[in-house]
Amino acid sequence: MPRLLTVQDLVVEVPGRNIKILNGVSFSLDAGQTLGLVGESGCGKSMTCYAIGNMLPRGLGQAGGSISFGSGESGSERPTIAMIFQDPTSSLNPVHTIGYYLETALYRHQRLRGNDARLEAMRLLERVGIDNAKSRLGAYPHQFSGGMNQRVMIAHALAAKPQLLIADEPTTALDVTMQAQILYLLEELKAETGMALMIVSHDLGVIARLADKAAVMYCGKIVETAPVEQIIQNPSHPYARALINCMPSIDPADHQPPVPIPGSVPLLDDLPQGCYYNPRCPRAAGECFKRFPPLAPVAQAHNVACYHPVAA
Amino acid sequence: MTGFILSKAVRAFAVLFSTALFVFVVLRFSGDPAERMLGEFATPEAQAAFRTLWGLDKSIPEQFLIYLQHAIQGDFGKSFADGRDVFDIITQSIPKTLTVSVSAFIIAILLGIPAGIVAAIRRDSAIDRLVMATAVLGHSIPMFLVGLIFIFIFAVWLRVLPSSGSSTWRHAILPIATFALYNAASISRFARATLIEVLEQPYIAAARGDGIPPSEIILRHALPNAAIPLVTMLGILATSLLGGTVLVETVFAWTGIGAQFVRAVGQGDLNVVQAMILVFTVFVVMINLTVEILYAFLNPKIRSQQ
Repeated sequence: MPRLLTVQDLVVEVPGRNIKILNGVSFSLDAGQTLGLVGESGCGKSMTCYAIGNMLPRGLGQAGGSISFGSGESGSERPTIAMIFQDPTSSLNPVHTIGYYLETALYRHQRLRGNDARLEAMRLLERVGIDNAKSRLGAYPHQFSGGMNQRVMIAHALAAKPQLLIADEPTTALDVTMQAQILYLLEELKAETGMALMIVSHDLGVIARLADKAAVMYCGKIVETAPVEQIIQNPSHPYARALINCMPSIDPADHQPPVPIPGSVPLLDDLPQGCYYNPRCPRAAGECFKRFPPLAPVAQAHNVACYHPVAA
Repeated sequence: MTGFILSKAVRAFAVLFSTALFVFVVLRFSGDPAERMLGEFATPEAQAAFRTLWGLDKSIPEQFLIYLQHAIQGDFGKSFADGRDVFDIITQSIPKTLTVSVSAFIIAILLGIPAGIVAAIRRDSAIDRLVMATAVLGHSIPMFLVGLIFIFIFAVWLRVLPSSGSSTWRHAILPIATFALYNAASISRFARATLIEVLEQPYIAAARGDGIPPSEIILRHALPNAAIPLVTMLGILATSLLGGTVLVETVFAWTGIGAQFVRAVGQGDLNVVQAMILVFTVFVVMINLTVEILYAFLNPKIRSQQ
């Protein structure tokens, strides 16, 4: 598959305060591939998406590194990127109807207007599982449930015919049955359209289900990246291992309670010397307190930023 | 929609009636108009004659019923002070006041809203600081002082405008400017704050991420949302268009309803006070009704409840 996106040493910081929200993030994504970003709150998962989607919040700027598209050569075009968000209801403009939202997007991305845009908007709504599409076009976001609004956002994303869909915690604000339905829908759409997907979640279950490869983030850095089975079954970074261990098991034979990670995430303006995980890490020693470890391969397509990775 | 208007009309009537009753009773308990009108050295006989003349010797419920009977027929009595028809006093002074306050309000909106929008879009820039500094000044200097400063500059020093009176349109310029400056200051600050809050909403970030051009984001996505609280705020400001010009009218000797009201309250001219408060009430009720209709028009959440 051709390369779609390459992120190299991406740094996003709060200007003038030397706080690096993203501190040298590198990864790549091929067309049609699904990448899962995992990590605790504040680790920079969402910020990575915003940087790629060109929607960094006011006051934050890309301070280093590069985001390149396609083969990376000059002249390669920016692929169409669409995003869906954690809280669908507040991500939809309350004064506009669902129809306005979809039809303006269809005009922007496909130059459809009038009746063509209406018909296509109805088709998209039906595709994401909203019945009575015709009457729903006149509805406002506050008349829909969170799950329905997330479907509307997905329909809106599809209107762009995206090569890459960025889903920032798409199921976090939804109830469990709705979560499953939305994940199923995303899986289907991916297979149908061949778009690449970048999915952010703190829920490893979501990542395991959808992603081909996963990247674990900690304090603005990627600490491990590997094919998703590899990360779930055989995490090398002590943090990745700890994250997996605190997932409750669904297997009734497994009576092991989830193990919480000791300590808490350090503040970004008060990071420890060396590896940021060292205060919480049982394996930290020597070099760990001096320099942040570089991301190095431990197996095929499996990179870990750790001096003392957990052996397979 | 008919149900909506009907329920509002019933409510407006209830507000009007209870205000009339309340004011009527309070005015009669808050001092003896005979004493205030005739002075403390008037003989008891003169005071008694005054009370009989104006019907103040009857019981309050009786007085109120008589008042209502006349008021329904459009007769609001005569001024205790000079015997002029209250209706005439009011119909003569209201246009004067509205000339100043409504023109000032329109100017304030035309200045304040664009200034607030520009300040919000160019937040923290030099132009934002300039707009906000002007607004803070305009808002914090008392209106009568601004009026006096204007008189000093334009009437005393430059001698281009009259300092007081209300006979020609040139007399209206300084009062309008004074009142407009004050309102424009509040409007621009509020517009800026509201728009900034809207611009920080997730749906605006989402629209940006979607590649919608900035001008369209402001016009189609941000302003329709900011308009909702802004209309509420303008409604509150508009309720002061009749009574809020008292200071300006006093400074510029403009014979509007505000100045008349202050005189009537001071002299205990009950019929005038009573009628003016009713007029203010009708005005406020009408403004509130307008705001509610606009609100339903602007806010789909409210529209779908009706």
